[in-house]
Amino acid sequence: MNAEVELVGTFAEEEECVHAVEVLKRHAIAFRVFSPIPSEHLVHAIGRGLSPVRAFVLMGGIAGVLTGLAITVGTSWEWNLVAGGKPVVSLPPFIIIMFELMILFGGLSAAASFFLFARLPQFDPTPGWSERFGADRFGVAVKCAEDDSARIEALMREAGAEDVAHEDPRVRELVAH
Amino acid sequence: MAAAIEPLNTTPTFADIDRGVHRIMDPPGMLFWVWIAFCATLVAIAGALWTRQIYQGLGVTGLRQPNMWAVYITNFVFWVGIAHSGTLISAILYLFRTRWRTAVYRAAETMTLFAVATAGLFPLVHLGRVWNAYWLLPYPNERYLQPNFRSPLVWDAFAVSTYLTISATFLLMGLIPDVANARDAAKGWRKIFYSILAFGWRGTGEQWRHFQMMYLLLAGLATPLVISVHSVVSWDFAMAQLPGWHSTIFAPYFVAGAILSGVAMVLTLLIPMRRLLNLEQFITPWHLDNLAKVVLLTSLVVSYSYLTETFITWYGQDQFEVVTFQMRYWGPWGPLFWLMVWGNCVLPLALFSPRIRRSTVPLFIITIFVNIGMWLERFVIFAGSLATNFNPSQWGFFRPSITEIMITVGSFAWFLMLFSLFTRYLPIISMTELKEGIRWLRQSLRDDYYPDVSKDMK
Amino acid sequence: MSRMRTRGCGSWSLTEPVAKLANYRITMSAHPQTAVPKAPAMIPGAEGIRTPMALVAVCVILVLIGVAGFVAGVMTETEPHAWQAFLVNFLFFFGVAQGGVMISGAFYLTQARWGGPGAYRLAESFYVFIPVAFILFWVLFFGRAELWPWVTRPVAKNPTWLNTPFFFAREGFCLLALTMLDWWFIRVSQRVDVRQWALSNDNITMPPTAIRRIAPALALTYAAVMSLIAFDLIMSLAPQWKSTLFGAFFFAGAFWSGIVAMALTAVVLRGRLGAGNLFTRDAIMHDLGKFTFAFSVFWAYTLFAQYIVIWYGDIPAETFFLVVRGALIDGPAGFSIYTPWMIPTWTVPLLVWVIPFVVLMGVKPKKTPAILGTVAFLGLIGMWLERYVLVVPSITPRYVPFNWIELAVTLGFLGIFGLCAIPGMKLTIAAAMAPQVLEAAEK
Repeated sequence: MNAEVELVGTFAEEEECVHAVEVLKRHAIAFRVFSPIPSEHLVHAIGRGLSPVRAFVLMGGIAGVLTGLAITVGTSWEWNLVAGGKPVVSLPPFIIIMFELMILFGGLSAAASFFLFARLPQFDPTPGWSERFGADRFGVAVKCAEDDSARIEALMREAGAEDVAHEDPRVRELVAH
Repeated sequence: MAAAIEPLNTTPTFADIDRGVHRIMDPPGMLFWVWIAFCATLVAIAGALWTRQIYQGLGVTGLRQPNMWAVYITNFVFWVGIAHSGTLISAILYLFRTRWRTAVYRAAETMTLFAVATAGLFPLVHLGRVWNAYWLLPYPNERYLQPNFRSPLVWDAFAVSTYLTISATFLLMGLIPDVANARDAAKGWRKIFYSILAFGWRGTGEQWRHFQMMYLLLAGLATPLVISVHSVVSWDFAMAQLPGWHSTIFAPYFVAGAILSGVAMVLTLLIPMRRLLNLEQFITPWHLDNLAKVVLLTSLVVSYSYLTETFITWYGQDQFEVVTFQMRYWGPWGPLFWLMVWGNCVLPLALFSPRIRRSTVPLFIITIFVNIGMWLERFVIFAGSLATNFNPSQWGFFRPSITEIMITVGSFAWFLMLFSLFTRYLPIISMTELKEGIRWLRQSLRDDYYPDVSKDMK
Repeated sequence: MSRMRTRGCGSWSLTEPVAKLANYRITMSAHPQTAVPKAPAMIPGAEGIRTPMALVAVCVILVLIGVAGFVAGVMTETEPHAWQAFLVNFLFFFGVAQGGVMISGAFYLTQARWGGPGAYRLAESFYVFIPVAFILFWVLFFGRAELWPWVTRPVAKNPTWLNTPFFFAREGFCLLALTMLDWWFIRVSQRVDVRQWALSNDNITMPPTAIRRIAPALALTYAAVMSLIAFDLIMSLAPQWKSTLFGAFFFAGAFWSGIVAMALTAVVLRGRLGAGNLFTRDAIMHDLGKFTFAFSVFWAYTLFAQYIVIWYGDIPAETFFLVVRGALIDGPAGFSIYTPWMIPTWTVPLLVWVIPFVVLMGVKPKKTPAILGTVAFLGLIGMWLERYVLVVPSITPRYVPFNWIELAVTLGFLGIFGLCAIPGMKLTIAAAMAPQVLEAAEK
């Protein structure tokens, strides 16, 4: 009966981590990456394409424009007082409101869809994570059968891992102090 | 001079950055709390005077016909303007992939949030009946009354509240990875506080993928927002037919002025901050140099606007406009105008010199004058044009009251108090982005990036 | 101008110049204080690029058509078709060329090295037209009475400013100053050490002192002179009207027309140059697309900023300018009348803002050359139309006077512009094929 083990490779440099990701992808091994910094190379290497957040932002923006149009035109028709000699439904000022609401709804959609897709707020621990991955080390975690672990460990070390730790996936994440 | 300063480490590591920034978030000392108490006292005085104003009415101010807008509106526009440069530095420069942005943008964004919060108070201060402020928003009511969307004041309400929401969102989202870092190093109540703000961030590849897209799009949305909000604020005035106010250039002119005052305020805050909090390691002369260049650029745009307005007034020879401008330059408030020109147009020209851009004391003095100049610019345009309107028998020059003066002082104290609290309790420098751009930080610390300027110039 | 070889016609041949590009590999001396090597008479690499005879022939024919049409128009027509067309085309083509040079200046000011020297050469592609435009400007002297109303009927309010001697003196002086500054800027921009700086993207080193001094000077002069041109050449066509933002509106439009000219050039060259040239890089296309998108929004912003102020104030001395160009006006029996200029006027924001905004919002369209090229081409037509709609309604408000004379003059200017573009294009082609540039630019 093969026990499962969580291999966590620690890398000091971004390039090494990217290299490891490419190697693991070539061998079709599932992994999870940890990075302390935003890294375009890393996201590109993982290769899952552009985030769907942008679709939500587009929809939010369009919703904002339409809401702006609806509020301004709707309330002007309801309270149809001619103010300042301007027509009751006068588009130039309404464009400003539509624009602001476009930004507002678009921005809030960006934040909301980010939380949705990144699965935040997250209360459960993430296997393989440790505090150094938020500080100054990159990490790659692979969940595999114990028999496989030597091969995968070799791949990681070849890619430049400083250290490859074996963890029991059932244990909660380590808190290193 | 000060005691021997230890030489800067020109090759900082990620761990150095973490250490340097975490140190700022240690419990602050006595001096800090004295400063906060001082600011809080000024805010309390301002609050008391505002309460008196609500009780007794706007008559306690200096507002008299024809100057129904003076100090409060000036403060409003001033603080909204300060806010804009923060978003410029964090959002617009992000889109340009500017390399010097990383060490300073968090401080700028923080300044934005608190400046907008301060600005948002002033429409309320300016209302005679503050309790009716909610009338600005559309809601169903039995008399079928709705806000007048054709009015620039309603555009303002939407623009500034959108700006407050989006800049708070942008700041909060950008904070997440940093606060997660702080969470890992913290103990006690701080750990709980940072854990809440970090939302459980772990920095996995998937989280970063969505984060990058969200941040890029928020930056892309915040950019037109910056330009539109201050344009809308300028249109509070440009929509009127008053000479001195009715001018098509107001929108980009105000935006440039906003960025000028804002970046100057960033420098005014950063220069003492880097000294008091020992941040010379991360905010180098290179950062000050580039911020100063932005000040210079926007100062030139503002000078262009002054010259164009003067020229077109002379070109058009509209008698009302000509007299308004003559009174603005040579009238009773002429000295204020020339002080404004000194602060906004003349003194920043010194920033053409790389030596001055990289020296903290001259830079600090210049930015103080810029802030004074920009406050005066708003006052001179708003109250000055109202004072000399179409009908000379109506002319009258504004006299500020103690209420307005103390509320203005209180607004500065309120802003500085909030900003100071943020610097000690949340990461005022973005650790994650600074680490991402650590190459450029190391190069700037080596200080050899001016290829044909001898080291003596520095 | 280079010697034109008579070896066949058609495509450009590049095997020789690529070998000559070894000259590009000049390293910086260890002592930055030493004198900078003088720029050679011809930039290495551009010598080997042949001028395509077909292009020259077409341009010469266009110029001849233009001259014929212009002369015919001046001699025969009672309406000022020829002069209108001349002014519109002068403003448009000068804007494209000058805008391009200013874009290069803006790149130096922001230390942009995403495209290496290639981006700078691309922006400067049309610089030779600028001194030619200065000469062409003086032709307008002879048509001044047909164009500007204050020449024959002095404006009571401000005769000091709007009179022939002062007008032409200040325009001549300012255009000469700007032309000379442009020429000096181009010389510095093409220097070896500046090109070397543009090649290195992985440092925060500032560009050499010479360019650091002249780029801001260029920016200030550009803003001042282009604003003056707008106020004098366009705004004074309707002397009662004024708008403080008009100068900035004009030079923002010129800047954008420079950007789309760059984008169109990049798309065309991408297909015609050898494989692996600079413009096949996705990142370069993406950046050009982003510029097109962003600055079209900025142009729309300057347009809206003027529109909303004039609309809201509703002052007749200001609104007439807009009403002539494209307002709905109240007609009899409650119907709205479309002014004759409605369609050209509303086409302008469609081509210059709506299409770039909607089409180039996503990432893929920016990187697709066919899409970017089409949007750029439509944008150029839109900007030409914008100049037309700014100038001509002030002269003939009641109808749209476009006829074959105006077309001929436009083609003539296109021919002159094409001929003037050849020297700059050669440098752009050399840069787009240079191995060092390809290595340095973003992938």
